[in-house]
Amino acid sequence: MDFVLDYISVNTFWTILSTTHALLAVALLGALTHQAAAVLAPPRAGAAGGFVTHFRSVSGPRYAAAVCVLWVLVFIFGAWIYVRYRVHVRIFIEQEGLWKTVGAFDLKEQLVTIGLGLLPVYWNFWKNARNAAYDSARKWLTIVLAAICWYSFLTGHVVNNVRGFGL
Amino acid sequence: MNAATDTAAATSSRFGTFALVFGICFAILYVVCEMGAFPMFTYHPGIDRIDPGFAPPRRDEGPAMYWYGWIATSALGASILGFLGALLPEKIRGQIPLALAWAVPVALVPVVIYSLRFYWRW
Repeated sequence: MDFVLDYISVNTFWTILSTTHALLAVALLGALTHQAAAVLAPPRAGAAGGFVTHFRSVSGPRYAAAVCVLWVLVFIFGAWIYVRYRVHVRIFIEQEGLWKTVGAFDLKEQLVTIGLGLLPVYWNFWKNARNAAYDSARKWLTIVLAAICWYSFLTGHVVNNVRGFGL
Repeated sequence: MNAATDTAAATSSRFGTFALVFGICFAILYVVCEMGAFPMFTYHPGIDRIDPGFAPPRRDEGPAMYWYGWIATSALGASILGFLGALLPEKIRGQIPLALAWAVPVALVPVVIYSLRFYWRW
């Protein structure tokens, strides 16, 4: 990738990667939140078509593949910029004594990795969406993944605020 | 069901077992690797070098990164166990509780938080 640096600065390069990571995370967060709402509080038959009803009326199975692809993409970009974070961001945060920030980010790192390993079974549960035997496990696994995604998104946002761009 | 459908269902079931066992084992192995420091390799980003297994950071060479190595160890172990799980007879495969797919990760959260206790300074 070094040839890219002939055209843009190092800071711009990492900022583009970080922004792409964030935008993909937004898409993943939206998809998982819709899906979690659909399994947690499915709309009642004949309910009025307000915002909340539409929000939770998505077809869960249609989101499953997109969630898996987005999770993998966000993970790849995150793993890529993690090198930069480790060398240029984390050391600064440690020097500032912001230990809880480092810990919160490490927790995010562990949770998203565990989530990555759950994607095959998540996909399989949704692939068999008509199998009632999977209903409970599918519902709770989706909620767990959504919770991991929300925690990770907010933590990443906080860490980015601590150090900012121009890494 | 005809033979083709039966085969497809069996394959799906075997994949389902693989996915379930993989997900459960990956989560457990990852936490074990993280707490026990068992990376398959160590990456030194400062000097762009990879060492096999666990390698501590060296003076003036920057930090050592174990996360990639933990993922590799966990993925390998979980893949082997998932494959073995998929080979089990259907009667046994059907006995694995599906709820473990979400209950195990939830149960591991406090363990992970505890493993990071160094950072929870007030």
